[in-house]
Amino acid sequence: MTDAKKQQGRLSEAEAIERAKQGNADAFEALYNLHKRRVYSLCLRMTANTAAAEDLTQEAFLQLFRKIGTFRGESAFSTWLHRMAVNVVLMQLRKKGLPVVPLEENIETEEESPRKELGGDDPRLAGSIDRMQLQRSIESLPPGYRMIFLLHDVEGYEHNEIAAMVGCSIGNSKSQLHKARMKLREILRMSRAEKATKP
Amino acid sequence: MTCEEFERVLPELGNDHSIEQDEHLKSCSACSELVSDLSEISKQGRLLQACEEPSPWVWNSIEVALRQEGLIREQPGNLLVHPPRLSWKLRWLVPAAAASLIFFGVLLHERGGIPQHQAKQESPAGVVTADLQTEGMPSEDMQLLNSVAARTPSMRDAYEQNLRAVNAYIHDAEQSANNDPNDEVAQQYLRNAYEQKAMVYEMALDRSLQ
Repeated sequence: MTDAKKQQGRLSEAEAIERAKQGNADAFEALYNLHKRRVYSLCLRMTANTAAAEDLTQEAFLQLFRKIGTFRGESAFSTWLHRMAVNVVLMQLRKKGLPVVPLEENIETEEESPRKELGGDDPRLAGSIDRMQLQRSIESLPPGYRMIFLLHDVEGYEHNEIAAMVGCSIGNSKSQLHKARMKLREILRMSRAEKATKP
Repeated sequence: MTCEEFERVLPELGNDHSIEQDEHLKSCSACSELVSDLSEISKQGRLLQACEEPSPWVWNSIEVALRQEGLIREQPGNLLVHPPRLSWKLRWLVPAAAASLIFFGVLLHERGGIPQHQAKQESPAGVVTADLQTEGMPSEDMQLLNSVAARTPSMRDAYEQNLRAVNAYIHDAEQSANNDPNDEVAQQYLRNAYEQKAMVYEMALDRSLQ
């Protein structure tokens, strides 16, 4: 184990923040290592593109480190960082003209609309969803649904926070989340049915 | 309560249901199954929160940018970079990295990045030799620094600092490899070291060839 790794193991987040403010390289790296997976995972799922996700991760951390001198600890550091990461991603998606804000009066196509039927002949999904399957299903969601699902169910933001971040109403956020979950359910059930029919 | 009525209120439902809704769920297997599925999807979604690892290049780029912006500062008595340990399997990277550095050097010459008379004036052979002896800076690094100084003198010190840091990194990497040739955990450190140097060269060349 290198000295840097040992140091990272010993450094608490608060210590790392203080040392990073002094320009300590190991402290910056320790903070990066503590949070890289969550920030990168968020960026990757939002963009569904590895290169774009890495660029956004870099940008989010750079923005954070540039402002670390202003961090006074009123909120959790992770909250501060993840909010910044979300903002970086949203800004980037807006720049690219990708839909970030779900429409209040969403005009759904037949294909995009979650199936309205409640239940069916298949047994419940509980215990049968694997990670890869869920990841693929999320990637196939329309961008507006995907954004809200990721922010709420994966990242754990509340509807009022999401509404403020993406610029929509709380009701719209709830509605989009429900539609996203319904769509995911449909995809997952279809995928399971396909698997079942394969010899 | 009918299924349609339940469906209408479902997006607003949290974990708490009204008595009427609970009764409907008890009596309707389809709605009960739906609620169970949506809850399972939400639960599984949370497990995806931090399951992906970015490539090491992301940190490299961040570190280089932080150094360039002066946010990372030299700490007295601290190593700027981490001593890597190289395995024998990775030694092929050493000539590869050297080749890329030579490539940058050639590129610099071909683009006329260093006016010969200026190079001679600013770093005559004797001075370079003295620098090498006293400070351990390789001649190609000196050449690069002279090129940067010719264009933007104020940036020379910053680049010299970066080059010294990355050279120390490479030196430590090589030393670690000699000490423990069977170590297999050092792949990243090795790539980091040469990638960092290549990036410093790239940035310096961009600057000096503007």
